Amino acid sequence: MLAPKRVKFRKQMKGRMRGKATRGNYVAFGEYGLQALEPGWITNRTIEAARIAMTRHIKRGGKVWIRIFPDKSITKKPLEVRMGKGKGNPEAWVAVVKPGRIMFELEGVAPEVAKRAMQLAAAKLPVKSKFIVRERSGQEAAVAATAEGGAA
Amino acid sequence: MAATLNATARTGSGKGGARKLRATGKVPAVVYGHGDKNVPLALDRHELELLLHAISVENTVISLVTDGGTGKDVLIRDVQMHPYRPEVLHVDFIQLHAGEVIRMKIPVRLSGNPAGVRDEGAVLDQVIYDIEVECLPGNIPEAFEVDVTNLGVGESVRVHDVSLPNVRILADGDLPIASVVPPSAGPEGDAETATGEPEVISSRMAEET
Repeated sequence: MLAPKRVKFRKQMKGRMRGKATRGNYVAFGEYGLQALEPGWITNRTIEAARIAMTRHIKRGGKVWIRIFPDKSITKKPLEVRMGKGKGNPEAWVAVVKPGRIMFELEGVAPEVAKRAMQLAAAKLPVKSKFIVRERSGQEAAVAATAEGGAA
Repeated sequence: MAATLNATARTGSGKGGARKLRATGKVPAVVYGHGDKNVPLALDRHELELLLHAISVENTVISLVTDGGTGKDVLIRDVQMHPYRPEVLHVDFIQLHAGEVIRMKIPVRLSGNPAGVRDEGAVLDQVIYDIEVECLPGNIPEAFEVDVTNLGVGESVRVHDVSLPNVRILADGDLPIASVVPPSAGPEGDAETATGEPEVISSRMAEET
């Protein structure tokens, strides 16, 4: 599972998730993307579950990019422990996601396969999300549609 | 290929002015050019969206008609979009002058099914979707057509492999445009596994001192 190799401090403050994603909000590497529509914390276990769901569906072939990294530590106090006595122990690593953030990207598969793979991944995530395709100009999109239609 | 877009002059500026304009179904825009004064404009959102869907955004010369006057040739330099809604927030136009070279990005179109994909089940990875070039306004090309049919696994087509007449390519020649790469591992593979807790830098520094 994804986790930082070195950190400056073991525990962090909770923070707030205000605003929209100003970076990482467009499809940069692949052809298709899964974009968050609301803010949330995504743990490394969730990212791994989504990745497995996606790669199982596309089988061999295709290329997957994970555009988020869980670099924030989350602490938790043990069960049946009274309040106080300091902050709990680090239990998980999360990625802070804001609306607009592209979480996963995919390339090298048919559009229907990519859409279904992203739906399966989205079902694992705690935030609402949408499937998006890399922006292409009208002419290019028409050429691509013709080529895909011809190939099928 | 030429397209026409109507615009009106705009007086309000800044965040408040732009928001008021967007509330009325308009999109703020600006046109600038070498030696020209910046002119703030307002565009009709629907007309703009239809145009953006119909043209190749970065390299289509548009005839911009302001307040019913004569059209001037411009290129779209930047389109600001909302982070997740399909909504145009602002458009930058650059005015063209005859005889003055201009920089722009030309889209790359791949054609053919690579041999590595066809025979060995690899994946075609397109790395660059547009290439920055310099040319005169009259010589603006439509696209770089790149044939990838002969690419095997591990092979790439690079920027120095493509060329167009009357156009100077500004991008680094060694950059790969598209590569044929082996497919990603199965569902259980290629996840980096973390072993235990990460190293804490501050504690190591404390030990050293």
